[in-house]
Amino acid sequence: MSWGPCFFYYHCPQCGKRFKYATDLIADLGPRFGLCPECGAEGVLEKEGARTPDDLQYEEIEE
Amino acid sequence: MAKKTIITAAVTGAWPKKENNPNVPLTPAEIAEDVYKCWQAGAAVAHLHMRDDAGNGTMDKNKFAETLRLLKTNHPDCDIVLNLTTSGDLYATEETRQIHLKELRPEMGSYDCGSMNWMHSGLFINSPAFLTELGNNMQEWGVKPEIECFDPGMIANAAYYLKKGVLKGPLYFQMCMGCANGIPGSVKNLLFMKETMDTLCPGSNWSAFGVGHSAMEILYAAVALGGNVRVGMEDNVMYSKGVLAESNAQFVERAARVIREFGNEVATPDEAREIIGLKK
Ligand SMILES: [Zn+2]
Repeated sequence: MSWGPCFFYYHCPQCGKRFKYATDLIADLGPRFGLCPECGAEGVLEKEGARTPDDLQYEEIEE
Repeated sequence: MAKKTIITAAVTGAWPKKENNPNVPLTPAEIAEDVYKCWQAGAAVAHLHMRDDAGNGTMDKNKFAETLRLLKTNHPDCDIVLNLTTSGDLYATEETRQIHLKELRPEMGSYDCGSMNWMHSGLFINSPAFLTELGNNMQEWGVKPEIECFDPGMIANAAYYLKKGVLKGPLYFQMCMGCANGIPGSVKNLLFMKETMDTLCPGSNWSAFGVGHSAMEILYAAVALGGNVRVGMEDNVMYSKGVLAESNAQFVERAARVIREFGNEVATPDEAREIIGLKK
């Protein structure tokens, strides 16, 4: 059984972009984990877990 | 002769919904058709989960039975190996997690070789008593366990059950990479899982998958390390970055291309039976 990835879902407090990071990248990405890919601001964590019904509205950031 | 590589299609899983990908098969009819298309594309094994009428994971034996009936009736030419989950719902009882194996006698069933925190939110419990009972029952019922390992400790646990006679070799492992609370999905970690298996359970065969972004890394690494591969919407609803998968068969077709480009051949179901050690 898998439930796919576990994500942290964010929005950007500056530009409003919605994005997500898979939690198994916490160690790999270090301080970059959770940053807005557009403006580099620290994202506001909204929720976490397996793919939520609105998952597709959040861009997945992998690096 | 080229090495044969088994493709397992995990078409549904317990989690993704139509909102996540409208192409994920949820009903017995959808799952049976999907499995047939995956078999046509080269899958030798189908790992099956069921959903209730609301789309949530269920261990309802009638859903499993209906899916198998539809597959057999509508596609009698399909000789795919069926591998039924024993972990389709975190709230299932120890009885409902195995009664479908007893009644339907699929060739394989999943055997999750330890307990873990699940997705930082719940418990995935596979107690010593349950694993002992399930292992013994699967031997009695002629259902080959697929040993799902989410971290190296679960491989050590399999070695313990092998010694105790609860599991019988040669074992067939599924390395589950990148699940929260399990080992992260990377080539380095997959190599460690394989080496741990080779040391603790020599002579075993194995397959691997990575969820989400690690899917391709683990697919290529598993082929390169001489393992087998699992693909499908249970583990990943995206075909590539930002692109939803059109079907499970699309994943199987890509895995088949990777295997052939590497220089291996895609194992047929009967070849998979030989590799895994299934009697038929
Ligand atoms: Zn921003």
